[in-house]
Amino acid sequence: MQPKRALIMHPHDNVATAVEEIGTGETVAVPLAGNALTLTAAEAIPFGFKLALREIPRGEIIRKYGETIGRATTVIAKGAMVHIHNLEGTRARGDLERGYGR
Amino acid sequence: MSFLGYIRSDDSVGTRNHVLVIPQGIIAKSVCDFVTGTKTLFTVDHGSGRTANDREQIARVLIGLGRNPNVASVIVHAASPGVGYPELYAERLVDEISAGGKRVELLDPAKDGGTYGAITKGIRLARRMVHEASKLRREKVGDDHLCIGVKCGYSDTTSGIAGNPAVGYLYDKIVAGGGTAMFGETTEIIGAEQALARRAATPEVAGKILRAVALREDRAKATGQDIRTVNPVPSNIKGGISSLEEKSLGAIHKAGSAPIRDVLRYAERPTGKGLYFVDNWMGHLSIFAGYAAAGANVVLFQLGGGGVAGRTLLEGSPSVVAPFLWATANPKTYAAATDSIDFYSGTVIEGSETPEEAGERLYRTVIDVASGTLTRSETLYYTEPVDMYLEEPRF
Repeated sequence: MQPKRALIMHPHDNVATAVEEIGTGETVAVPLAGNALTLTAAEAIPFGFKLALREIPRGEIIRKYGETIGRATTVIAKGAMVHIHNLEGTRARGDLERGYGR
Repeated sequence: MSFLGYIRSDDSVGTRNHVLVIPQGIIAKSVCDFVTGTKTLFTVDHGSGRTANDREQIARVLIGLGRNPNVASVIVHAASPGVGYPELYAERLVDEISAGGKRVELLDPAKDGGTYGAITKGIRLARRMVHEASKLRREKVGDDHLCIGVKCGYSDTTSGIAGNPAVGYLYDKIVAGGGTAMFGETTEIIGAEQALARRAATPEVAGKILRAVALREDRAKATGQDIRTVNPVPSNIKGGISSLEEKSLGAIHKAGSAPIRDVLRYAERPTGKGLYFVDNWMGHLSIFAGYAAAGANVVLFQLGGGGVAGRTLLEGSPSVVAPFLWATANPKTYAAATDSIDFYSGTVIEGSETPEEAGERLYRTVIDVASGTLTRSETLYYTEPVDMYLEEPRF
């Protein structure tokens, strides 16, 4: 069976973006500098969503486009989906400001 | 490369040839309902209770729309509600719009027989002005006369990996050809501001970009709320975007790679050519009128999809005088709303085109539209109201 495709935007990224529907246990090929990085999807990854290229410890910076897109709120397994359930943004977080809200 | 445009008395070049009637209100609406070839804007903001800064911003929108090269001539009417403020005096609008040599007529209900009389006079004038404008012929001009504004919206991952890179190619090509290109949406560069600041033409411009972001982020923090409850918006999250930073980093791809010449306010005209960042707000009912007022002769909405894939008709957006293109890279959005979409770059995701090839096709689409091909939204009468971007409290 053809491996499913996911795109990495920058060599320093620890996530890739699914460009087709990926099912649990399916092989995913991520083109990287002429080669393809291959991994197994730990769960279903819908079109347009991200998966972890390696295990990401809790608190580690998550990178896409070579830049910070947020922080892991829990340990993320290799091949698992990365989205709002395990990634938090770090910018414009009024809820974390002293003296406001809460 | 070149396009076919209308050369104006101030040497600017229009892609359309409208007669504009402003400000909003029953006089303008009545004249435009009666006379073909006319445009007005529909908005609730008359300046009443607004601060001087915001009234000046409204004036900038009205004057800017009047000066837009897509406008052949203008009718300005007085006695709209809230005209007591000097910034919005009809005489001031007339003076500043006509400074470039454009024909501007004034309707004054106090002298022209009240509202009914002003409408009658306006219809008569507008018919003559539209007829006169139709005598002008398009001529071949260089790409340096293109002035474009863009926003990306309902963004999803297709925006960051295909749609915005195609727009980025277009932007680089327009700037390389000597034209003017504007992008903005300050909230949506939070997390990507360092990457943009590195592209500033001067350290001063880099400072302006960082200050615009710092001010916006401070305002977001001052609400005491998590920005993620506001932005990324639900359709972004449904489309796979997980944080504001991720959205921003995808969004800036639409600006290409040219140096950023300066930071502009909403509806402020660029002083030169090249790429400009506009410190504006993302709302599509707001941003496109601002670009048109800054002189854009074509505007582009790069659409993701996410939650709007069920929409099969996309309405015209309030760019008022600038032809408005819908573009998308999302195959589901395109399949749902094919009739409304001017450009599709999902080919990049499907693997049949590179972002550069899609961008080249987008450039040709823009040139066609600049030369007179109607955009899909121009085939509709309906447009959304203009929500002018005003930043200060009302009193």
